[in-house]
Amino acid sequence: MIAEGALVRAKRSPRRRAGRIGIRDGRFALLYLSPALLIFGVFTIGPALFVLYISLFDWNLLNSSLSTFVGLHNYRRLGSSPDFWHSIVTSVYFVGCVVAGSTVFGLGIALLVSSRGLVRRIVRLAVLTPYFTPLVATSIVWVWIFNPQFGLLDSLLRLAHLPVVGWLQSTTWAMPALIFYTLWHDLGFTVIIFLAGLATVSTDLREAARVDGARYRHEIRDVVLPQLTQTIVFVIVITTIDSLQAFTQIYTMTQGGPLQATTTTGFLLYQESFVFYHTGFGAAIAVVLFVVIALFTLLQLRLSRSRSQ
Amino acid sequence: MYWHRSSLIVVGALLAAAACSYAAYGATASSKSTVNITFMEAMSSGTQKPALDLLTKRFEAQNPNVKVTLIAEPNYGVLLQKEQAAVAAGNPPTIGQAYENWAASFADAKAIVPLTGYVNNKKMGVKPADQKQIWKGVWKDLFLPDGKIWMWPFNKSDYVMYYNADKLAKAGLQVPKTWVQFATVAKSLTKNGNWAWSTDTGTLAAPADGTIMLMAMIHAFGGTWVANGKPTLNTKAAVKALGYLADLKKAGALQIGTNYPGETALGAGRSAFDLSTIAGYPYELAADGGKFSMKVAALPTGRNGEGNAMAGTNIVIFSKASNAQRTAAWRYMKFLSEPRQTAYWAEETGYLPVTKDALPIMKRYIATHPYQQVASQSLQVARGNPPYAWWTTAEGQLATALQAVLDNGGNPAHALAAAQAKAMAAAGG
Repeated sequence: MIAEGALVRAKRSPRRRAGRIGIRDGRFALLYLSPALLIFGVFTIGPALFVLYISLFDWNLLNSSLSTFVGLHNYRRLGSSPDFWHSIVTSVYFVGCVVAGSTVFGLGIALLVSSRGLVRRIVRLAVLTPYFTPLVATSIVWVWIFNPQFGLLDSLLRLAHLPVVGWLQSTTWAMPALIFYTLWHDLGFTVIIFLAGLATVSTDLREAARVDGARYRHEIRDVVLPQLTQTIVFVIVITTIDSLQAFTQIYTMTQGGPLQATTTTGFLLYQESFVFYHTGFGAAIAVVLFVVIALFTLLQLRLSRSRSQ
Repeated sequence: MYWHRSSLIVVGALLAAAACSYAAYGATASSKSTVNITFMEAMSSGTQKPALDLLTKRFEAQNPNVKVTLIAEPNYGVLLQKEQAAVAAGNPPTIGQAYENWAASFADAKAIVPLTGYVNNKKMGVKPADQKQIWKGVWKDLFLPDGKIWMWPFNKSDYVMYYNADKLAKAGLQVPKTWVQFATVAKSLTKNGNWAWSTDTGTLAAPADGTIMLMAMIHAFGGTWVANGKPTLNTKAAVKALGYLADLKKAGALQIGTNYPGETALGAGRSAFDLSTIAGYPYELAADGGKFSMKVAALPTGRNGEGNAMAGTNIVIFSKASNAQRTAAWRYMKFLSEPRQTAYWAEETGYLPVTKDALPIMKRYIATHPYQQVASQSLQVARGNPPYAWWTTAEGQLATALQAVLDNGGNPAHALAAAQAKAMAAAGG
């Protein structure tokens, strides 16, 4: 009986012991996480909630006591603001081109440089290096490259007796110039991601395809791409989120011009809040942008989970 | 327990760091004997910083109970952001540089104090005779629409015409004195890959020299920017001025660029003129590098005489400062504007003396730098930014109209009508 009791206690106590350990572990885990949670709460969650709060006011940036509550007025203003809808179209233009370019060129370059060889290593370095350069400094360099009177590009066009382009002074060419710069700077990131993805592609399947007589393009289409689907989806979503938040190059290179040709929603947010002091309206733009980015993030998470399942 | 003690140490360190950063700048407390004031400014490039440091030391030597801490920002854009953030956080500096429309926003938010009482104070004010010696344009610039003085002058400049004297002499052309003459000379010089003048139109969020030149021309042609507290961007004079620039662009005599395009083109010998602020003289000189004889003339005139725009800032006192700090700050601001100090500042930096009484002190300097006299005389007619918070939007809309016409070939009247509508909306009209 004593032995049975001991057995019962032995059977019971691991769970009870595990429960006690679980609660204690949980408390300690929370304690160790609390500095990070505190920083996240103070510098990310708190300000985000404050922006939501501000969006309900005609907010006076310099003296908040002079702010007046307007409810959803700023959101209604968004709906009827031609500047806001123009910025949405501009953002779609910018994001669409950057995402498509990053994905297609990133994958193409990754395929080209994935194997060994000195030339390929040099090309890899040339593609990756811009990603590690500061955005502001390189934006200024590109402003000069695009300069219509003294820049490298128009000088080459003049040498070839072709008509010069206004680039950053042209409503037609300013956005393509910005997109080109963004791709030049950020392609290194997508190449790194695709190189990592290519490393996981089964070499046996590729060899088997080659042995079966598949050409290179069939090997890529039928063997490599299907195995890279998750990586491609990841690149598309991350690049979309990044380009929705793009600001530095627009601020440095075009200031949203000429004639708002490069005023994306992110830049409009800055302009309304910090140039024209329409802080409440700018906060409403920020909330809308946050919702869009959050939706993309959830989409990425869902797609990752369904793929891994 | 060990972790409990170490956590307390960490928390204590964080609190101490926070307290130190709070006291880093702002209207810092003073001890009984010394009054501490802070001056947030953007005079950090070239000769500006050492000149301001020296003037500040001179002031402290004459006022041993006042300590001035200079907080230098890299440019006006960052300065405005820092001042806004400091005001919003309830921790502004004692004084700061401010453009007229910044001062209007600060005054609306009750973040700065009026200076009329200090200016007219019998003991420490500025005597009426000395007030009259401040350049007319500079004096008018100190007021907000309520009729009170809210700012005190510091680093003022205005616009001049830099030109390549060798190029004009070679072409047998005289220095243009009117805008009509300027157009003729400009078109004559536009050949063989060269042109007359480059400018930056600016954008909605960042007006530039091109926008300012359009404003100067509007005055020269008999127009206004503001009337009865509302914008007037589409007067006949404004349409004429914008049409004039469109004509120059069409002829190839005017080119558009960014990043100081006028200075770049003049320095490269590709253009003959740059219409820019006198404060840029050292940079223009560096750009030309002694390749040609660069001279300075007043801006051309229109039917209304010379139109000119005042650049540079004034100084404001923030309302969080204590009475002792406000008094000390006023003494410092007045010191900087006195003839000896403003003359030194002008000679060292290329800015202009704010009072005519400085010119006799600068006699020797002006003899070797005659452009200073040219630019100083223009301060009689130069106008600062209209002192309204909505002027930021209006000026941005003017830049947009300029872009629409010069970059996109738009119609000047339509472009200015659109700009006027948006500016009126911002002005609550």
